[in-house]
Amino acid sequence: MQVFKVYFKVIYKNMIQIAIYLMVFLFFLIVLANTYNSPENTNYAEIKVNMAFINYDKDSKIVEGLKDYISSKANIVSIEDDVQKLQDALFFREVEYIVKVPEGFTKSLLNEGSITLDKTSLPESASGIYMDSIINKYLNTVKTYASTLPDLSHEELTRSVHNDMDQNAEVVLNSYSKEASESEKCSYYFNYLAYSLLSILILGISAVMIVFNQSDLKKRNLCSPVRLRTMYFQIIMGSLIFTLVIWFILVLASFIMYGSYMFTTKGILFIINSLIFAVVSLSIGYLTGNAIKNKNVMSAVTNVVVLGTSFISGVFVPQALLGDTVKAIASFTPNYWYVKSNNTIAGMVNVNMENLSPIFVNMLIMMGFAAVMLVMTMFVVRRNRMSNS
Amino acid sequence: MIFHNYLYRLKCIVRDRTMMFWSMLFPILLATLFNMAFSNISSAEIFSKIKIGVVDNAEYGENTFFVNSLKSVSGEGERDLFEVKYISKDEGDKLLEDGKIEGYIYFDDGIKLVVKKSGMNQTVLKGFVDDYNQTLSTIKTIYGKNPSMDQSKLMSSISNRIDYLKEVPVSKSSPDSIVTYFYALIAMACLYGGFLGLKEVMAIQADMTAQGARVNMAPVHKLKLFASSMLAAATIQLIIIFILIAYLVLLLKINFGSQLGYILLTCIMGSITGVSFGTFIAVIVKKSEGVKIGVMIGVTMLMSFFSGMMYDKIKYIISTNIPILSYLNPVSLIADCFYSLYYYDTHTKFFIDIILLCGHNIIFGLVTYSVIRRQKYASL
Repeated sequence: MQVFKVYFKVIYKNMIQIAIYLMVFLFFLIVLANTYNSPENTNYAEIKVNMAFINYDKDSKIVEGLKDYISSKANIVSIEDDVQKLQDALFFREVEYIVKVPEGFTKSLLNEGSITLDKTSLPESASGIYMDSIINKYLNTVKTYASTLPDLSHEELTRSVHNDMDQNAEVVLNSYSKEASESEKCSYYFNYLAYSLLSILILGISAVMIVFNQSDLKKRNLCSPVRLRTMYFQIIMGSLIFTLVIWFILVLASFIMYGSYMFTTKGILFIINSLIFAVVSLSIGYLTGNAIKNKNVMSAVTNVVVLGTSFISGVFVPQALLGDTVKAIASFTPNYWYVKSNNTIAGMVNVNMENLSPIFVNMLIMMGFAAVMLVMTMFVVRRNRMSNS
Repeated sequence: MIFHNYLYRLKCIVRDRTMMFWSMLFPILLATLFNMAFSNISSAEIFSKIKIGVVDNAEYGENTFFVNSLKSVSGEGERDLFEVKYISKDEGDKLLEDGKIEGYIYFDDGIKLVVKKSGMNQTVLKGFVDDYNQTLSTIKTIYGKNPSMDQSKLMSSISNRIDYLKEVPVSKSSPDSIVTYFYALIAMACLYGGFLGLKEVMAIQADMTAQGARVNMAPVHKLKLFASSMLAAATIQLIIIFILIAYLVLLLKINFGSQLGYILLTCIMGSITGVSFGTFIAVIVKKSEGVKIGVMIGVTMLMSFFSGMMYDKIKYIISTNIPILSYLNPVSLIADCFYSLYYYDTHTKFFIDIILLCGHNIIFGLVTYSVIRRQKYASL
């Protein structure tokens, strides 16, 4: 048991670094839980675009009516008419649409003049097209009334237009919505988990392996009465238990976040998937631990491996937004298959063999990665032994 | 003598592989990853035709007004909104469940819309369907007020739609928020120049390194020595930043605008700030090298986070709510210089940023100088 005990002594010495990664993960979680707000109720809700409405045509009932109508369809954010402030707001998507009503617009509208509204939208965006269509619809309706019923007072005109605009089509929501949004949140959680799990396992296991691979220490160990096989066995047991503990802590947090959802079939699939990924991470950690010799290189390699594979395989940015080339490269990393499984689990409507088999295939591929890593580790270990003797 | 020292400090810095990895290769690696991960992300905002279904039943067929208005916005054209499949209601449910369409329209005693979730595309679709109902209501109201209305005149007024909106671009450059990540990354790389500054201070302090002890014995004016060290660090850092920017512009095609002179000025200011920041950390944190580096990385990461390197909107949130925080943050100032050059039409904000950076440099420099000047050691 001596080796096993030493294993955890080394881990304990590196606790601060490991704790930092756990903290980063928890921080991500809090941000995630606060920013991702999918509709909780099962009713249909229109998306409200954030926009700025700047009016220079004062004292116009019609422009006021337009503003009222827009505010029922969009969120009007008040921003003063200052070029830089508007530029900033659009750049950082504080608003996605800006409309300016010039002076004399109402008069021009009612007399078929040519004054138009100035609008700024995000280029080619859906929100821009939508806002264009509802503003044009309102103004065209005003125009129709003004040209067909010229005697209508402005108040009455506005009232009629609003009456028309209140006509809403019936929307039926074919819903498994609540469950779907829960699954989506949970898949984000498990995707991020890949980053922390991989970082912590590579750092922890490498730290231990670097200690055991120190040339002098290794020579001393080799002439101790503990058999080589027993020693390796204890190291492997140590790694396994370390992996399981870290995995358990990370998965435990998901129970706190999502509660009873984790006991559904999908929740259990997420957990199994992450366990298999933990085994792959263990093998990667074992390989890097045996391949590198000092601690400075360790943090560089960890960052390159973890950030690199996480970025291209959809851990931070959804896979659907990645380019095809990137995805093709990413398919050579286990993270890609892990994230893909998570997404498949989240998107699954009916749990049956047909839908489950792609997930099992992904899991097998991950196991394949683990096997390849272990074989490579064996080569590295053998090479190290040769060069030592 | 200064030149001799300068040359040897250059060699010392370049040969420190770990440091060169963190200050040069790591930012390049991050930039590559950002580029791979974000290359498609702005396409999520770009509108692409919405796939919808229409249940082709008798009530739909009779409704020529709707049939025509749907035809006018669907098809192959650039400005069309929808790609329409004509289906039965059961097919609609199936396609919707598989995510092949975003929603479908059917007529059953009035127009109805079926969707699976709430989203922008669904909202556009709903807007179109509402438009139909609203037009019907308009026609009804007008006939209610004037029953003798000429039908063809009314129809022509309704179908003659005017576009009342004129696009006025807000800036010479498109509001592509992805560049924020790259600007913050360069700013972070500038501050990683702190590794070099830190190393240089360590190298002349007798209580930190053996080399420092030896140097203190030599009859060289310490200020001259320090000046040549700083110059060497700033030179290497500037070259690193040039390599990074060349990589971003030539290989990754990141847009920096076209004001080369000002961009150069920002690079120089950024590199100097990075190095002086490193010396500042080295003198105020009186602990071992590991702790100094740890503090430096931690502070730089935190400042990069507040400049939008992990989440672009943070920069805006800070600058609108707590502007003082972004003035105190050199990473944010450097990133903001690039942003101002790319996006604003005027240079006011740019020069404010540059002046504030000068201020930071003066403070870092004075603190460093006041601590390391006339350092004497009782025993070496």
